[in-house]
Amino acid sequence: MRTKIGRSLVVLAVLSVAMLIAPAAVSYPTGVNGVAQTGCNCHGAVANSDVAPSISGLPDQYNYSEEYEIVVSFTGGPANAANSNQGGFNLWVSDGELAPIDATAQAYGANEASHTEAGNDQTSWTLTWTAPSGDRNVEFILHVNSVNGNEDGNNGGSSGDLWNKLSAKVSPPILVLEEADPFVVLSTLIVVSAVLLIITLTYVFYRTNPESFTWEHFAPWISEWLTSTDHKKIGTLYFVAGMFFLGVGGIMAMMIRIQLAVPGNDFLTQDQYNQFFTLHGTTMIFLAAMPLINGFANWMVPLQIGAPDLALPRINAMSFWLQPVAALLIFTGVFSGSGADTGWTGYAPYVVSETAHLGTTMWVAGQIMLVASSTLTGINFLTTIAVMRAPGMGWLQMPLFTWSILIANLMLFLSIPAFGVGLIQVYLDRVIGTAFYDVSAGGDPLLWSHLFWYFGHPEVYVVIVPAFGVISEVIATSARRSIFGYRSMVYAMAGIGVVSFIVYGHHMFTSGMSPTLRFVTMLTTMLVAVPTGIKIFNWLKTMHGGSLVYRTHTLWTLGFLVTFTLGGISGMFFPSIAMDLHLHESYFVVAHFHYVLVGGTVFGFYAAIYYWWPKMTGRMMDERLGVIHFLTGFISYNALFWPMHRLGVWGMARRHHTYFVTTEEAMGALPMEAAGWNMFVSVSAFLFFFSNFFLIANMIKTVIRGEKAPADPWGGWSFEWMTASPPPTPSFDPHNLPELKDANEHIANEPGTLGKLFNRLMMSEDEEVAH
Amino acid sequence: MTIQNALFDGLWDYYIWISLAVSVFTFSWLYHHSFWYRSEEGVEHENPDEIAVGVFPKHNDDMKLEVAWTVAPFLLIVWLTYISWMPLASVWAPIDDADYHGFECEEGQSSNNELVGEGYNAIVESECYHVMEITGKQWVWQFDCLDLATDLCSTSSDTIEVYGTVPVLHLKEGETYLAIMISEDVTHAPWFLGLGTKEDVQYNVETSLWLTIVEGTSDQVILCAEYCGDAHSIMAAKLEIHS
Repeated sequence: MRTKIGRSLVVLAVLSVAMLIAPAAVSYPTGVNGVAQTGCNCHGAVANSDVAPSISGLPDQYNYSEEYEIVVSFTGGPANAANSNQGGFNLWVSDGELAPIDATAQAYGANEASHTEAGNDQTSWTLTWTAPSGDRNVEFILHVNSVNGNEDGNNGGSSGDLWNKLSAKVSPPILVLEEADPFVVLSTLIVVSAVLLIITLTYVFYRTNPESFTWEHFAPWISEWLTSTDHKKIGTLYFVAGMFFLGVGGIMAMMIRIQLAVPGNDFLTQDQYNQFFTLHGTTMIFLAAMPLINGFANWMVPLQIGAPDLALPRINAMSFWLQPVAALLIFTGVFSGSGADTGWTGYAPYVVSETAHLGTTMWVAGQIMLVASSTLTGINFLTTIAVMRAPGMGWLQMPLFTWSILIANLMLFLSIPAFGVGLIQVYLDRVIGTAFYDVSAGGDPLLWSHLFWYFGHPEVYVVIVPAFGVISEVIATSARRSIFGYRSMVYAMAGIGVVSFIVYGHHMFTSGMSPTLRFVTMLTTMLVAVPTGIKIFNWLKTMHGGSLVYRTHTLWTLGFLVTFTLGGISGMFFPSIAMDLHLHESYFVVAHFHYVLVGGTVFGFYAAIYYWWPKMTGRMMDERLGVIHFLTGFISYNALFWPMHRLGVWGMARRHHTYFVTTEEAMGALPMEAAGWNMFVSVSAFLFFFSNFFLIANMIKTVIRGEKAPADPWGGWSFEWMTASPPPTPSFDPHNLPELKDANEHIANEPGTLGKLFNRLMMSEDEEVAH
Repeated sequence: MTIQNALFDGLWDYYIWISLAVSVFTFSWLYHHSFWYRSEEGVEHENPDEIAVGVFPKHNDDMKLEVAWTVAPFLLIVWLTYISWMPLASVWAPIDDADYHGFECEEGQSSNNELVGEGYNAIVESECYHVMEITGKQWVWQFDCLDLATDLCSTSSDTIEVYGTVPVLHLKEGETYLAIMISEDVTHAPWFLGLGTKEDVQYNVETSLWLTIVEGTSDQVILCAEYCGDAHSIMAAKLEIHS
């Protein structure tokens, strides 16, 4: 048995390494990556190696402030002396000053130069470059066009033209260290985080039982984790994976914020920035939020409904193990330097165009695997909740967290097939040349938007609804009350689930889709406020007459109420279309969805961690560290995202790798104050990122030497508090399942409105016997 | 506030007041309950809902209250929908629907547009409109004034320090323009920052956008709002207004 497992592990490792390495070799062929700050308004979509650019006259090492005469030129391509035009160039330099020598070239500021109309009929141009007065590594980026001269426009003007790019570097008199490549920084941080995670887990394994820290004990221990079908172990695996990717997504967010800290920054190139925000979104939604939900759902749903495990344990294990493989595929492009650069929305036709990076194909493939994983997870939870509830537990006696998982999985199950179909179409378009989204062949780019947002908007609720469940559990337990309006909470969650499918058009108000559909989705989007309002007011009313115990999970719950309410209010601005036309794709949108997804989902998770940690590990968390985590996290979070509302209204566009402010000398898109606010946001981002280290420290500390937790430390009512902390395996004896009692026995046995109606319509048993 | 669009400003100010009212109500309630009903050390708490492990607790509900806070948000959104309706009809006025911008101007005719109403009722009305074209392609904007007189619409280029050479669109104060838009490659969206409006441009599909240059509109930057690849963030242009 052990040999089989060993062989399987070796095969898995070889496959993983192959997936990492093989695509890396094919993701480089164009060599167009890393286009510098100038970008390229070139003739044609991709570079062509038939055109050979060159820069002569550059020294290997410059002298301070010396002026050099340089010649930029190219050979090859369709350029011909007989043509009316032959070509053009664009030269960008990171430092020093460029100046033209004659009328064939012109400078745009000190760092950029290009040809003039008079210089359009030649293949080489002469310029001067004045070296900097200090020590800096200087980078030159040259783009050249080789043109065939069909400038009349009848044939498209630039049709048949070719272009290429060249980079060159010049060293200063005193050598200075090269700036680190952001991809190297990201990869290093991911590897360091993974190594730290492994060391931490090993240390925890050692400290929990130093006596058993031998290979003989470790091998079966790790083997058990890798092959387990126990819902609690798989829940822990989901949880660890989700926390790891939350960190990875956070690292990418920090690099994005370094880039945006000051206007016109060049820490990341446009190309790198585009990949970073794409992977930040994909990672946070699919590799952090979803696994964290599944982690808590795996742990708590069977415990809450009194089931020994999930209905389909092997499917459960498969759902989890698809995720790391999908993550490898998604990140493959990044490790090859050509990661997906489409945004997490991957709008067509860009996503199938030649200009989108090659890594996009692997990014799509990884997401197809995640669709499979989520579908299997949905089947599992729906089945478990439908058929494995303990005796005495009716639908309207389930804990609200279980209700939230049921509704989230129903939404996911109904929406994710559309996304899966869209992804497969994109994959086929990119790989075998089908034309689902190729407009010139009759494809329809708006089809992708419809398929994506039919899934994408419910997906946002899929990650927030479980947080509603957590908050409902925590606020009731902390207030020592039953949740106010249990039934209306269930109906409100279900209502949000239904409404989520008919509002997605508000993401497409500016897309040019049918005005009637846009108007309808304006009305339905407004409707979201109704179930949301019910939930918020029910949570507040739950505290009434209670005795609120302030624990860390209570603080995160109160924090959630503040931030989620603010996120809900800012959401009401979008369906008002005359405002949305300005706010769409601005930082106001970024602020809104981070208020909902971080202030809602992540704060809900934090509450869940502090609330259920004693049950999961058998150890109480350190309340002092918890309070510090809340205070630092809550304050820095608001400092990070609140100013983004204002930046968005000013006109700061999302997915722009930099921004420019208006000064006395130059006109920019944003007012001067935007620069200061962006720096403030970036500093706050780092504070928020590092505030989470208090949580990590708390977890490690308490697992090793935390106070032992009783079965029901907070006074909850549902079945998870009936089992030991941590619970045994199986979680409940299948032959002796618990039975739920009901404090509302008299109400539970009375028929409802429909029941009364049927009773009146139908003949009673007594009357039937009499006849 | 840098937005010069009266439709946006009117709605924005109104929504901010509504938001403040909702926030004050909700947070006052939260603040009051979280302090007033906090547990005190040494004081035995009551268990009004008979909470015990393994027992579904007693219902804690009140039909009247629950209906009240179902109806209240509903009434609020009905009102918000109502006040958002007229500006919506204005920004998406169908072409040649004489209600807002009349018909296409004859040669020499002026739009004479004016701001009608105030606050959330503010809209722009015009006697007629001029047609021009906007084309987006990776990563440059192209403007075509068609056969409009140069005092109504013209194009040039300018160097903005950070964006390099950008196309410039010159429009006239008091005139209303209908921009017919198309893309030559992927999806783009011109965002007229000072007008507070944008619309996607699609490959092979014509879309349109009303540009109402009311009195007081000033020069502004035009950005691309729909992600379109490498140089998306510097796909800029400039709108210059003359009287």
